[in-house]
Amino acid sequence: MKKARLAVYASSLRKVYQTSDFKVEVLKDVKLKVNRGEFVTVSGPSGSGKTTLLNIVGSIDRPTSGKIVVFGHDLCVQDEDFLADFRCRNVGFVFQSYNLVSTLTVAENTAFPMEWIKKPENQIEARVTELLELVDLQHRAEHFPSQLSGGEQQRVAFARALANDPPLLLVDEPTGNLDANNSQKITQILQKLKEDEKTIIVSTHDKQIVQLAHQKLCLEDGRLVALNE
Amino acid sequence: MSETAFPINDLLRRKLQTTLTITSLTLCVASTLFLLLFSQRIGFGIMSTVEDKLTYGFSIVYRQFTMFVTALIFVVGAIIISFIVFAMMSQRTRDIGLIKAAGCPNDLIFGYFMTELLVITFTGCLLGVILGLIADFVFSNLLNSFQISRGLPDFWLTLLVFASFFVLSIIFGAKPILDTAKIEPAKAMSSIYYFRTEKSIGFKVMSKSALTLKIALRSLFRRKSATIQIVLCLITVFILVTVAVGGSIIADQTTENWAENAVGRDLVLIGHRTMCDHYDLLLSKFHGAKENSKFDYSDERFLIPEDILHQLRSIPGITHLDPRLVLEAHVEEIRNYTFDPETGATIPIGDNRKGESLIVGIEPNQVLAKWFLQGQLLNEEQAWDAVIGDSLGQEMFSAPLSQGIRLQGKDFNIKGVCLDPINNGNVTYVPLQTLQNITGVSKPNIVIVKIDPSANRTETISQIREKIESVNSNFAVLDLNEVLDKNLNFLSYLWSTIMFLPFFSLLSASLCLIGYVVLTITEQRQELGILRAVGAKPKTIVHIVSTQTFVVLLSSYAAGTALGIMVTLMILVPNPLVTGYAIIEIVGWLLAALTATFILSLYPAIKFAKKPILQIITQVN
Repeated sequence: MKKARLAVYASSLRKVYQTSDFKVEVLKDVKLKVNRGEFVTVSGPSGSGKTTLLNIVGSIDRPTSGKIVVFGHDLCVQDEDFLADFRCRNVGFVFQSYNLVSTLTVAENTAFPMEWIKKPENQIEARVTELLELVDLQHRAEHFPSQLSGGEQQRVAFARALANDPPLLLVDEPTGNLDANNSQKITQILQKLKEDEKTIIVSTHDKQIVQLAHQKLCLEDGRLVALNE
Repeated sequence: MSETAFPINDLLRRKLQTTLTITSLTLCVASTLFLLLFSQRIGFGIMSTVEDKLTYGFSIVYRQFTMFVTALIFVVGAIIISFIVFAMMSQRTRDIGLIKAAGCPNDLIFGYFMTELLVITFTGCLLGVILGLIADFVFSNLLNSFQISRGLPDFWLTLLVFASFFVLSIIFGAKPILDTAKIEPAKAMSSIYYFRTEKSIGFKVMSKSALTLKIALRSLFRRKSATIQIVLCLITVFILVTVAVGGSIIADQTTENWAENAVGRDLVLIGHRTMCDHYDLLLSKFHGAKENSKFDYSDERFLIPEDILHQLRSIPGITHLDPRLVLEAHVEEIRNYTFDPETGATIPIGDNRKGESLIVGIEPNQVLAKWFLQGQLLNEEQAWDAVIGDSLGQEMFSAPLSQGIRLQGKDFNIKGVCLDPINNGNVTYVPLQTLQNITGVSKPNIVIVKIDPSANRTETISQIREKIESVNSNFAVLDLNEVLDKNLNFLSYLWSTIMFLPFFSLLSASLCLIGYVVLTITEQRQELGILRAVGAKPKTIVHIVSTQTFVVLLSSYAAGTALGIMVTLMILVPNPLVTGYAIIEIVGWLLAALTATFILSLYPAIKFAKKPILQIITQVN
């Protein structure tokens, strides 16, 4: 059966953060369509809701209202167990703050998403080696996150996101905290993933990364608009 | 920001952590204070209950037990509180590093965090004291049918608990602050410093079956210092629970066994009706009966006629006869001397004290009692030996086994000190023949009869009654099982009061353990959140946390119960009686404790796992 072309579909997406003191509407009537194999960048000022949008697409947050469908699944109506399994198999998330597990080594951080889905041991070992080669961190396999530089931690986060070979990759500000050399390495990884026809949504201001995009979007005042060339 | 404004704002903004720590501290102080006040009430209650009852040897077991458990409760409380405060302040290591990195001088940082520590520990200890006093008031009134002393709680004990726990909290809480203040900011901010995750054990893919177990263990072992502290803390909790539960069961059975062996099971007493009633009274003094008037033991009507002994020997259901002559006499302590090999000096023992004692002449080879005895039993060849009761030994002698006792102007060597409920331990056993010779009383005045356990007891007793009444209608049969059961019920009643201590200790330990689980989860919050974000289901998080808790609990349980049993058997109860039933009962209680604690500890894990992922990862307060 031929796969549906649409990877991500969002309509009338709204997200409101409310505390006892104030209410912030981060996303207002967001519409988004991303096809399979498409590379999308989302830019916008700090606090414009880029991370919130990625969190909702990646199913680690729920919208206040609206619809979000990823690979044909309406994420708003699924339970936590389904979403956990969905994330594990379909979504690779690279967080802005890396979010590596501090008590696991680089190799273990890369391996554990595969362990959730009970991949055979030999396949996990081979995949860890392959991914650490991709991010050029074979020599750091037995180090803990706290023993790595920011750029290295970011690359481990990429390796972990790609562990289960997910069709959708969500990357939040991958080069925001990195130097030129490390940014270059990350861009190369994204380029490679684009060539592999992964569906990628990147929140970024990095011009080099934006240049890779098929679809360039910008969040302005909570609304998603196409970025002028 | 002022030195006070920062810590107060910081605490208010970290509502969850602040509330958790204060709650854990409050629960721990409250349960410790409550247990101390409650054990004091039980102690006073029992002391007033056993006054003029119980022999010295029996009551000392209760006193030792209550005192030891009380001391242990205090130690456990102190250890748990130190751990809670240490864990809380250790979590601030990174924040201290950040503030240091921003250029804040050490003394100001120390001021900030010490102020936080003071606010938290003072609030926790104060609330704990208030809650402990409320619990003490509620339970001492709820359990008013038991022997628990009522009245105002001990003010000085309350103050002592508050002051000592407050000071301990400050000392243990200040340690991580001082340690962090000494190191470079970069180190303080690194998880290597906090988790001590410096060594990798090599990458190995985890098998499918033991995935959560391995993740849980890896996390535990890589947080070695924290895990060791938790295990040590729980070991002391389980020692307390084991001593309280196991100790009280073993001590209960042991003391009941002492009483049962001293009085004897399946025995009946044959004697003059008045003598039977009086013997019943002598045995009942153990559970509080009082002697109202002077009893004349030497009344010739009480002497057992030879015919009765002859008739008894002819009854087939009787296996043994133990004739005794029971009298009351004036006794004197005989002073003795001992030689000090170091100084060469002669040291006097004893003080020639005088008093009244029940004197029982027995035939050493016929005696049916199997006392719990220090020293030796009487034997046929030693006519001038005596065995005295523990209360007499305690009240009238300095070192009874090295001394003698003077009776009717004759000196006896004390060969043994026995635990015997009769006359509350104020008793002297001497050979029957010797007693008859020195008193001129030619016959025994009671006979204790052992009925064959395989014979029909009721029928045999009827036969005995019939035969003795045919000789002399004033003679009667007293079933000693009834008197014995009253004594055993009294012992059980006392232990049932003491059993509140293990029960409440268990409750308190469970509350502390839940506090620990909550702290552990809070500490691992971000990592567990990341696991959720990359695909772990809520139930997987519960599995990981519960596995960690179970491993910690089980290892602490094994060590704690082993040490607790050793303390009970070696220190608390002399010559303990450990029956198969006691073992099953203790194991049952302790397993119930482990299971209940484990199940209760799942609650915070389940609650945590249900939280939205972003709330877990980004939660600050």
